[in-house]
Amino acid sequence: MTDMKPTQPTARGEVIAPVIGPDPTLAYGFTPEPVRQPVKPLIFIDRPEPKRRGPLSRLRRHLRTLRHNRPFTIALFCLIAVLMLTPIVFTFLYSFFPKGEITTYLGLRNRYDATKWLDVLFAPSVVSLRQYYTILIEEPQYLKLFVNSAMYGAAILLGQTLVVPMTAYGLSRFTFKGRDTLFFLVLMLMLLPFQVTMAPSVMTLRALGLLNTAWAIILPGIFSPFYIFLLRQFMVGIPGEIIEAGQMDGAGTMRTFVHVVLPVCRPILGAAAALSFADCWNLVEQPLVYLQNVDLQPLSVMFNKINEEGQAVAFAGAALYLLPMLLIYIYFQDDILLGVQLSELK
Amino acid sequence: MFTRKKTVWLYLAPGLLGLLAFYFVPFFWGVWFSLTDGTIDNKFVGFQNYLDVWQNEIFQLGLKNTLELSLLCAPVIFVLSFLLASLMRKRVAGDGFFRNALLMPYLMPSAAMLIIWLLMFDYGGVVNRVVVALGFERVFWLEGGALRVPIVLLYIWKNLGFSVVIFTAALQAVPESLYEYAALEGAGFFRRQFSITLPQVLPTAFLVLVLAMVNAFKIFKEVYVIGGAYPEESVYTLQHYMNNKFAKLDYQDVTTAAYSFAVIVIVLFLLMYRTKAVRQGESAA
Repeated sequence: MTDMKPTQPTARGEVIAPVIGPDPTLAYGFTPEPVRQPVKPLIFIDRPEPKRRGPLSRLRRHLRTLRHNRPFTIALFCLIAVLMLTPIVFTFLYSFFPKGEITTYLGLRNRYDATKWLDVLFAPSVVSLRQYYTILIEEPQYLKLFVNSAMYGAAILLGQTLVVPMTAYGLSRFTFKGRDTLFFLVLMLMLLPFQVTMAPSVMTLRALGLLNTAWAIILPGIFSPFYIFLLRQFMVGIPGEIIEAGQMDGAGTMRTFVHVVLPVCRPILGAAAALSFADCWNLVEQPLVYLQNVDLQPLSVMFNKINEEGQAVAFAGAALYLLPMLLIYIYFQDDILLGVQLSELK
Repeated sequence: MFTRKKTVWLYLAPGLLGLLAFYFVPFFWGVWFSLTDGTIDNKFVGFQNYLDVWQNEIFQLGLKNTLELSLLCAPVIFVLSFLLASLMRKRVAGDGFFRNALLMPYLMPSAAMLIIWLLMFDYGGVVNRVVVALGFERVFWLEGGALRVPIVLLYIWKNLGFSVVIFTAALQAVPESLYEYAALEGAGFFRRQFSITLPQVLPTAFLVLVLAMVNAFKIFKEVYVIGGAYPEESVYTLQHYMNNKFAKLDYQDVTTAAYSFAVIVIVLFLLMYRTKAVRQGESAA
């Protein structure tokens, strides 16, 4: 009666039971071949499978998926990602080259000879940890600067943890006279380049007796207006209901702060910590001006000076310099993305 | 929201004290400082310092370079981050990895990149290979005006990701139905970006632009890393002028130069403050 293959699902996805054995409607002594196809399980497919099953249709299907996935966007993203990561990857790669090889290689720079190229090295003749050995064990000078930088970072973070969330809380969840003016001033300070207040800062620090001590870096770092701004913008976005619910239960300002606001701020606190430590790790201007004493300088200032002396270990130095930031980034990446997304920066 | 609570000052006190000591006092002290002559009597001289500094050729060179460098960086970062964020609005395979690759350099110290940058921009380096492959002559990247290119690229490499992330967050708040409607009407990619996305994210766009501008004034770090304390004339920034004057203990000149510069920054900031981007938070609070 019907040509329709019985196992083929209909448009609604039902499977018609296959006819097995002689068809009662065709009782003319001519028995149709029994349908050999096994019964497929009940799968609900909306779209019938393509009729042609050649390589061409498979190709077409692949192309459709590919277009759906936007190949040009992906290709562009890949290209940019490679460009962004290349400097980091090569720094780490070259840090495993033997010292001699690096010295020779760097010596080939600045040949202003239009017939010669600087080869791109992809693999060392022998993988060597010699550069790291020199930096970490033979010459303690690098390690000392590394420790200095870490100390500044840790001290600033510790101070910021105590001060910045409280200030942001005061600026965001309270109403009082002059609050907007105060916030306006914080914003203005955030945008001013360091150099604007450089000379008066030096005199202030001198008056306080802090110039040329580690505190000259740490104290202004703690009160950095940017992080007050960042946290304030996040706290402003916390729904009032959460706070009111706490108030109903009798929570005061302190209890609300510790048990409601801070837990909600988890992502932005992580983001701020990561960014702040990165800032400190990258500090150049302040130490140049505030510190005359070489013993107190952080790695960021001295890094290139050491490199001039020991070019052979430059890559291992750079790799060690990058490594903490890389780890911090990997640990805090979700916080940074979420923190920016949820705060009122947008 | 807590109103009429005196306890607020308990929360604000430590932070404000610090801001007062290390930021507000130096700032306003500096204003007064730039109006006096710096001798022992410290006479009030009005705007004489400003007139002197503005006529100084090195100051003019520094100001010109700083403005030019930031005018080079800010629009590039703005346009690139807008386009990339638009592309990232819809999810594709591997976009998480891509976002991380973009944002990671934001945390990387510029100084550590110096050595690899010098290799890339060497006369026989990778960048010149690309230049020759495109059919041009090799360029002396590390000298003269061309030195700006590696510096600006280092700056963009480091700072692009953060703008992209801010933009992406704003773009994800734009309702999808607008795009569907525009697609029905036959608007192409660029048309959609400029007729729908840009107006919708205008406050953010302005914030990103101003932040890019103001941060680009801080490009000194990258210049210092590549060019050193006394760099080529083409990248001698205002900060170099101030640092070098500072080394000569010429505080009056430093502050005067600084405040001339601050005026530019503050004007930009006031423009930004007038936009909703910052104020919407206040009305909500």
